[in-house]
Amino acid sequence: MEAWLENLRKGFYQTFILKDNYMYFVKGIRITLLVTVLALILGVVLGVLVAIIRSAHDQQPVKKRGIVLRILNVICKVYLTVIRGTPMMVQLLIMWFVIWAGARATDGNLIRCAVISFGINSGAYVAEIVRSGIMSIDKGQMEAGRSLGLNYVSTMRFVIIPQAFKNVLPALGNELITLLKETSIVTVIGLKDLTKGAMIVQANTYQAFVPFIAIALIYLLLVLLLSWLLGKMERRLRQSDIR
Amino acid sequence: MIYVKDLSKSFGDNQVISHIDAHIEPGEKVVIVGPSGSGKSTFLRCLNLLEQPDRGTITFDGEEITSSSVDINKVRRHMGMVFQHFNLFANLTVKKNIMLAPVQLKIMSKAEAEEEAMRLLKLVNLEDKADVYPVQLSGGQKQRIAIVRSLAMNPKVMLFDEPTSALDPEMVGEVLELMKQLARDGMTMVVVTHEMGFAREVGTRVIFMDEGVIKEENTPREFFENPRDPRLKDFLSKIL
Repeated sequence: MEAWLENLRKGFYQTFILKDNYMYFVKGIRITLLVTVLALILGVVLGVLVAIIRSAHDQQPVKKRGIVLRILNVICKVYLTVIRGTPMMVQLLIMWFVIWAGARATDGNLIRCAVISFGINSGAYVAEIVRSGIMSIDKGQMEAGRSLGLNYVSTMRFVIIPQAFKNVLPALGNELITLLKETSIVTVIGLKDLTKGAMIVQANTYQAFVPFIAIALIYLLLVLLLSWLLGKMERRLRQSDIR
Repeated sequence: MIYVKDLSKSFGDNQVISHIDAHIEPGEKVVIVGPSGSGKSTFLRCLNLLEQPDRGTITFDGEEITSSSVDINKVRRHMGMVFQHFNLFANLTVKKNIMLAPVQLKIMSKAEAEEEAMRLLKLVNLEDKADVYPVQLSGGQKQRIAIVRSLAMNPKVMLFDEPTSALDPEMVGEVLELMKQLARDGMTMVVVTHEMGFAREVGTRVIFMDEGVIKEENTPREFFENPRDPRLKDFLSKIL
């Protein structure tokens, strides 16, 4: 027991204090959060767009579907199939080593690459989540809007999407949590996120227990924080349901 | 005001309305009755193109609205519609429900729309509900608000799709009362309903639909006292 505690103390010292190693973790958290937040924004924008195109296509009577809408729908379907059908890590590798093959491995480039990869990936999942939300809204809501002379887009924007968003918030929260944890695979392109930070510390100090348990706890804390924020947001959006 | 010519609509193999001709004059209160599945709701929903007819034309105010060059959103501003299930926007307060279309379509400024909303709410004695969400209202209150929401657009004609069918019996009266008031104020109305009392009292013309066609139409008096079509006689004997 004594020896184990002594080991732990040493591990702690080498992991955090020695040579200011804690900075790997601090910088790592910053990068992990930055990539997550930016990818989330990109993912939600992409996802909502795709969801609107897909449900506009599906809700329109067959003979009223314009050629533009048909083409957009096909593009969206291909996007969903490819992104959801291939592993995130493979997408990231292709983005960095194939599409950005000429780019220098600066932090800025790596972050941009990661944000775009994760954003595109997340967008596919968000799209289906948002689409399920749109489909869950009673079609009377759309009819009421249209019968007043509002067009499809305005009715979507002011009536359907706000209600859909509220309904899918738990699922979106799930996606956000998954995204946060999944960003750990940016290590494969060498971006120094939280996980990469712990790996560098391990390589330098030969300590494994403390750095990896530490980042596990940090991820857990971040997720708890996110869940709490999402819960707050959900309560606020539920205002119109209180009888 | 509304001319319907040779209107047909089917869902898949099911021919819901076939070759209907009808004409609705300004100021008329046309009541459409018939058994369920007779196509009366579909007919009404075709009038503002919530259902796309398969064939035939509809002319509203001299404009053929079934032609593909017409901006249907512009036409719908002048045709109010009231639904069986109210369809108040669940994410907006009562006042914002009324204000949304006039403000977004730039017919009124926000302040004007708010004033109009409050005026309309006072009309139905619900001004104290201005800031609550639809979920907190009774069915009768919801339907009265849905009606004034349409009125805020100042429509030339109002379409009612079974406006009292989803209401508790004790709430039917308040909605019918508001509709009668509208009728007295000279609104052109097309009403699909099962309320025969309303048809008799308020209607200027009653139409009986069955199997997708108009079987009989007449003044309420003749319609109820001297029905000629055998299906109508049968229908009336069952419900009166």
